Amino acid sequence: MKRRDFLLGATAATAAGFGFAPAFAAALPTPFGQDVMPPMDGREKFVKWMAENRAEDAKYLGQRWDRFQVMVANKDVLDARNKRAFLMTPREEFVLKQNLGRAYEHAFLDIGFGVTISGPHVVGKMTTSIDVKWGEKVLEIGTGSGYQSAYLAYLTDKVWTIEIIKPLAERTRGIYDALIERGYGEFKGITSKNADGYYGWEEAGPFDKIIVTCGIDHIPPPLLQQLKPGGVMVIPVGPPGAQRILKVTKEQAADGAIQVARSDIYNGKIVPFVPFTKLEGDKIVGTHNN
Amino acid sequence: MPSPNDAFHADTRARLDLYLAVGLIAGAVIALQIGIMRVFSVGSWAHFGSLVVSLAMLGFGLTSAVMCVAKDWFERHWKGVAAGSVILLGPVMVAANLGAQQIPFNAIFLVSDPAQKWKLAGNLGLYLLPFLCGAVFLGTVFLRASTFFNRVYFADLTGSGLCGLLFLGALYVVTPEDLILVPLALWFIGAVLWFRAVRQTAPMLVAVVAGLAAAAVHIGLPATTGVPKLAVSDYKGVAYARKFPDNRQVTRIVSPFGDLQVYASSYLHFAPGLSDNAAFNLPKMPANAYLGLYIDGEGPNGIIRDLPAQETAYYRYLPMFYPYLLKDKPETFVVQFGGGISTSVALKSGSKRVTVAEGNPTVLEAFRTVQELKDFTGDILAKPNLRVIDHDGRIHLASTRERYDIIDLSLADSAGLSSPGGFAITEKYAYTREAMANYMRALDKDGILSVTLWNKEEPPKSVLKLYATMVAAAGEIDGGAFEDRFFAVSTYLSTATVLYKRGGFTEAEVAKLRAHTKAMSFDEVYSPGFVFDPASVPNLLTQYRAQLFGEEAKAKDPKAPAPSADGSAPAPEAEPLDGDAAPDVLPATSMGRLAWHRLIHGGFSALAADYVFDTRPLTNDTPYFAAYVKFADLPGVLDRLELVQDEWGYLLLWATLGMAAIAASTLVLIPLVFGWRTIFSRYPGKSLTILYFACLGAGYIMVEVGLIAHFVLALSNATVSASILITGMLVFSGLGSYVSEHVLGRAKAIMPVVFLAIGAILILYGLHLDKVLDAIGAWPYGLRLIACFGLIMPPAFLMGMPMPVAMTSLGRLGKDHMFLWAWGINGCFSVLGAAAVPVIATAFGLSTVLEVAGGAYLLAIPAFFAVLLPLASSGSDRPARAL
Repeated sequence: MKRRDFLLGATAATAAGFGFAPAFAAALPTPFGQDVMPPMDGREKFVKWMAENRAEDAKYLGQRWDRFQVMVANKDVLDARNKRAFLMTPREEFVLKQNLGRAYEHAFLDIGFGVTISGPHVVGKMTTSIDVKWGEKVLEIGTGSGYQSAYLAYLTDKVWTIEIIKPLAERTRGIYDALIERGYGEFKGITSKNADGYYGWEEAGPFDKIIVTCGIDHIPPPLLQQLKPGGVMVIPVGPPGAQRILKVTKEQAADGAIQVARSDIYNGKIVPFVPFTKLEGDKIVGTHNN
Repeated sequence: MPSPNDAFHADTRARLDLYLAVGLIAGAVIALQIGIMRVFSVGSWAHFGSLVVSLAMLGFGLTSAVMCVAKDWFERHWKGVAAGSVILLGPVMVAANLGAQQIPFNAIFLVSDPAQKWKLAGNLGLYLLPFLCGAVFLGTVFLRASTFFNRVYFADLTGSGLCGLLFLGALYVVTPEDLILVPLALWFIGAVLWFRAVRQTAPMLVAVVAGLAAAAVHIGLPATTGVPKLAVSDYKGVAYARKFPDNRQVTRIVSPFGDLQVYASSYLHFAPGLSDNAAFNLPKMPANAYLGLYIDGEGPNGIIRDLPAQETAYYRYLPMFYPYLLKDKPETFVVQFGGGISTSVALKSGSKRVTVAEGNPTVLEAFRTVQELKDFTGDILAKPNLRVIDHDGRIHLASTRERYDIIDLSLADSAGLSSPGGFAITEKYAYTREAMANYMRALDKDGILSVTLWNKEEPPKSVLKLYATMVAAAGEIDGGAFEDRFFAVSTYLSTATVLYKRGGFTEAEVAKLRAHTKAMSFDEVYSPGFVFDPASVPNLLTQYRAQLFGEEAKAKDPKAPAPSADGSAPAPEAEPLDGDAAPDVLPATSMGRLAWHRLIHGGFSALAADYVFDTRPLTNDTPYFAAYVKFADLPGVLDRLELVQDEWGYLLLWATLGMAAIAASTLVLIPLVFGWRTIFSRYPGKSLTILYFACLGAGYIMVEVGLIAHFVLALSNATVSASILITGMLVFSGLGSYVSEHVLGRAKAIMPVVFLAIGAILILYGLHLDKVLDAIGAWPYGLRLIACFGLIMPPAFLMGMPMPVAMTSLGRLGKDHMFLWAWGINGCFSVLGAAAVPVIATAFGLSTVLEVAGGAYLLAIPAFFAVLLPLASSGSDRPARAL
């Protein structure tokens, strides 16, 4: 399918009402399934395949590919599952209209309510580090833009997400619903609610992985309780853009005693803590190029 | 030259009206400055307020440059110019403020969002307008009053000083969103008096109508249209609380000590530094245990509920519990009350008696008078075994003869989860080496000092400074023998706690502390007998440096691995993340251990030199948890600002200094370009005259700003210090200005002595003021205030003389262009000096600020004689006309 003329449909109007990008009124030619894999061996192939099979805008697909290149070089996404998840997630659907031009830049962006959508590198790094496997139960605290859970929906079919700010929770739910209507059935795997994430989602727990995307001065004890033994939780700490991602693992010894270990997602290694690499023209430049 | 009578009606009442008008308009300008800073503090971030005000103040310089070049025009139209500018000032300040609130500038997106730069520029442009009006008015008045400048200048300074004080008083009753009404009111009275002085009735009526209209717009427009009077950023702590569905404002108290607000919501959760083990071992987590305390929208600081006995096990899992492990029924001192968590821990952990200090009277007022807070906290401040000290604990402990078993200084600041826009460069005197030594001295035999700090940085920054500071203080107290005095633990990206015990920990105590540390899953960083081998982390310092700068050269000269020919991704070079083996100890913890090893066993200086960030101890001279990027590394961080986002406050100081320097040099250049050979052709000693006024401008403001930071030592509160300094400096200088007319006849003989005296006093203050202020700090507050005024008077009085003596001399010598330009140069270098203070203070110390200022006044001595040189003769009796 060639690049389309995109019309504002009813669902798109809903999203546009929130100040989001106009969307496309068409069912997706190829619904997502575990066996669906976009080509990763070339920009053109990828853009063509996605435009044909997913009916997405070639402009954003190109930008997504370019960011993907930097993320791979930066080791933010390592395995094929995460690579696919990044490449399949339409980030442009989750940013504000005025930021559409910068949807695939590395920086975090404002999404209103004093909340940001994290940069793609941080999302990639955090998600890769918790190593989500298909079928695992993942809880996200801080739905925000919805991008993180959308990304997770390509890694597992069991995602729960909680947002504390009611209008934001509703807006993001609206985006998911509109996307589902357009054929993004994978987002049906995302269950969302407006509540205080501090208490987790006890009825749905315990979880294999927990990903917290909002700051707090301590790790909420209910979340530690709802994490399965052997489970992993990640929490970003520090100012936006220069966050360290705290990784918490919960282990249960043979005698039943529970131990919690803190590290960071680089497993304690000293490495540059945000990406330096960027795309200049068609080249990736930066600090990881030795 | 026009005589004063030409310019102003010379009867006594008119003169009095003139002086009052000048005083009030100058006062309105200073009130506007402080007001804008308050608006930025509450709405977004204070640093940008300083930036905007600094640059807006350059409006004075710009105006003087324009007036200098077009002096004759201004002289001919002075009445119209003065009337126009004074009428505009009021409405423009209201319109600019309201307009700026509609341009939501957000510092955290400054790097990533290009639009933010324009929003900042919009704020700057809008706020520049009222300053331009004020500058044009004052410049015109100064020009017309050049021969009796010292009196007008006296009115200007005294008016500014007293209005500054009045404004600070107004902070008690006017909320930040309506603060603009205060300078508006000052302007209103000033404008009416001005038109009475110059006997212009019609413009006076226009001013009255304009003033009333401006007030009506400020009050009515937001009420009717919904535009915000003060836009609070969505990213301020309080903005989040307001979004919680069940949020409720418990109280709001405005005062010069901040806009204090307390919110209640079931969504507020605190447990600073809580052990992860609490989740599994604590039978019950206290629910709805906290209210959120916000000051100027920053926070939250947790206010803890009065927990019933069955829930107090919770305290054991907080890091501030440590000293209570070793002390039975201790006599406890809590250095800062804050939201009261430490005090609750002290009360519920068996303290026989607790003494708690709080330097912010508004916080105490809230806890003492707001019924809901009293109910929630069990009226904590009225507990029978609790005594409240209503000033800084640091000052109290420095002078008291009482001795304590436990002294606690824990997380005095808010959660510090993130600090977009940069940490404030504020003096943290409670954490200096001198303060720590005083705490240690105030310990009873075997007493324990417990200090807990946020440990959220990686690479570690503030905790390393804390370690170095506490060891330096112990060095003062114990000489070299302090190996057994410390016990330090940290939690990764959470908190760090250092215990110091007078006389040293016993083996049994160390064992107990270690056991607790293990039970809490905290990381031991140092303890007596702790074994750490620096060789186990051979590359730690290099790796930390590489983390920030390692491949800097490559970043500048990229050898990018272009995507392979088919466009596929370059293969990852390192082993997959999943395969990485986690080291036993995280680098940040190793760094803490290495720092302690070096501090105790020697070699810390070399370590500090090699470490990527500044780790110098805090002292009363450099009391900053900020400016971690070393001076030599500054250029290197410019292309990676996001990595040092918590340093933006500091970097902004450099940016302000840079912009002020550019603006100041531009100002020097404007008249140079337009009239060096024409306007100033007959002006001898031009360069030295410029130097003279530059020295005065920079010197004066450096003393003022530098002393504000210094005087916090004795006055324990930055707001009080600022008000005492602004008022004291300006009023005493005003008096100096007034007296200076007696000097005019013998200026050549007297002024060098005045400069020498100023230089000597400032250098002396630089060297010894700390000790004096420390001693004064122990006196009753009223006496402290009087003593501080006493200390301000000698330099301020003398510093009031050089400016009017020189300006009046220029006026009387007919060097009118130079007169205007000098005023502008002085203003510009004031901005430059103000911007330089925090930069100098963080790099070299506050004493250096005073010494540099003293040097500037000494440098002014030779330059002064150039000011007095008469005009070179020419065919005309007036300087050449501009342009």
